[in-house]
Amino acid sequence: MRAARAVLVGIGVVVAAYGFLLLWQRQRPDQLEAVATWWIAGVVLHDAVLAGAVLLVGALLVRRVPAAARTPVAVGAVVLGSVTLAAVPVLLAYGRRADNPTLLDRSYGWGWTALALLVVVAVVAATVVRVRRGRPESGPGPDPEA
Amino acid sequence: MTSRAAGLVPSPDRFTSRLRSPAVAARVGLWLGITFGVCFLTGLLSHYAQQPSQPVPFPTSPSWGYRLTQGLHVVAGTAAVPLLLVKLWTVYPRLFERVGPFRPGPLLVTVLERLSIAVLVATAVFQLAIGLANSAQWYPWTFSFRATHYATSFVLIGALVVHIAVKLPVIRRALGADVDDESQDRESARSPRGTQGVLSRRGLLRTTWLAAGVAALAVAGQSVPGLRQVSVFGVRSGDGPQGIPINGSAAAAGVVPAVTSEAWRLSVSHGERSVELSRDDLLAMPQRTETLPIACVEGWSASGTWSGVRVRDLLALVDAPADSDLRVRSMQTDGPSYTVTTLQGNFAADDRTLLALGLDGETLALDHGYPCRIIAPNRPGVLQTKWVGSIEVLA
Repeated sequence: MRAARAVLVGIGVVVAAYGFLLLWQRQRPDQLEAVATWWIAGVVLHDAVLAGAVLLVGALLVRRVPAAARTPVAVGAVVLGSVTLAAVPVLLAYGRRADNPTLLDRSYGWGWTALALLVVVAVVAATVVRVRRGRPESGPGPDPEA
Repeated sequence: MTSRAAGLVPSPDRFTSRLRSPAVAARVGLWLGITFGVCFLTGLLSHYAQQPSQPVPFPTSPSWGYRLTQGLHVVAGTAAVPLLLVKLWTVYPRLFERVGPFRPGPLLVTVLERLSIAVLVATAVFQLAIGLANSAQWYPWTFSFRATHYATSFVLIGALVVHIAVKLPVIRRALGADVDDESQDRESARSPRGTQGVLSRRGLLRTTWLAAGVAALAVAGQSVPGLRQVSVFGVRSGDGPQGIPINGSAAAAGVVPAVTSEAWRLSVSHGERSVELSRDDLLAMPQRTETLPIACVEGWSASGTWSGVRVRDLLALVDAPADSDLRVRSMQTDGPSYTVTTLQGNFAADDRTLLALGLDGETLALDHGYPCRIIAPNRPGVLQTKWVGSIEVLA
């Protein structure tokens, strides 16, 4: 197991080094700088901005949302939030071009609205079911971290 | 670290959710690894298919192979977004772990491991972000997308292999035990200190699979016609001239005057031998009809019924062997590269490879490459050259 892991580490390092070499060889210095900026920005945006925002949403969920609705709201927020993030390029649709009407040819705002409505309906339905079953206490009390 | 900075940075002990556990991270990580693996392999395949010179010829069958693999590439990459976000969430407390007291050996290992994680997270976020932006043809950067996405995929997969090797014992124990097993958890996240939160671990996993499934379904319709109605975030609805979307228009390519001119001729040459053919000459040759997909590297695809002349029939006019490598030149003067492409011998020889003159029973639309375009089975869309001006047999 130890030997296998060492071999794996070796393979990983070689593959990654090949990737760095390709990056280095095929780009101008200013392009490399742009790549580095994007790499760092991605980590900072996730670790500082997005992760912080999620902590905040979690805290709000526990303090502001009635116990019976907490679990459905959390599920809905994960689904809608992550799918929305993946859809940012089409929602902004900055790639649209006047000469090509076949590109980005959907009403993405309406598509998002439909998805959001579907999520809201599912969350409300799940909450109603939970209340009717009489288990509002299944959601726990406030805790320091959602 | 100063005490003030230490006060701002939370300690891992502040995170008490039972969900932030290796038991969850390993399960989400397994599927994230699978989606990255699919993206890497399908990406390599596409890269190879676009090489002008191929030591091992890229196969012409199945005709839908490129369509399937590139559709999968984008769907897997999109599904990876929720998986990556949840994976990072489950391991977030580790970001704040202090490096232990100074001991040369372990410290070096710790620093190297942290470095590999930093590279892994940076490249994972980067690949998904620029990949999704590229499929929406949005390029808010100065680097070359293709070269960067390709090179970074090796860095990402390398860092992933290192990460799996380092974590292998943890992963094996986590996947071998029940999801609610706490033996590998941080003390602050373990019973009785750990908090149940609003979701169980199984609940979070199901939510994650649901989110990944919704993300995949929301784009899959750009390659799977049956899903068009539900794929609200697909970059193409599938509509277009003659029922097929386009990537570059005739206007943008600057070809309109040249290809609509009476003087347009297709030149087919083989060394000293060459012929010049008008569109009428081409229409007078034996016409074939083939149903073949246009499959773009950006993931969208659509199937069309093309009619025209077999490329091998054109080669016979200049006494060239059917399996000759060809240089195909577009009339395109402007726009992106791919103005000159290589059609490898095995594609030229394939009966299904056409110089298409019509689509869907009509004259080929200007935006689809009028007066004629290459359409071959199992081939990247960028190489299905439009507005062809000349075909030259390579020695």
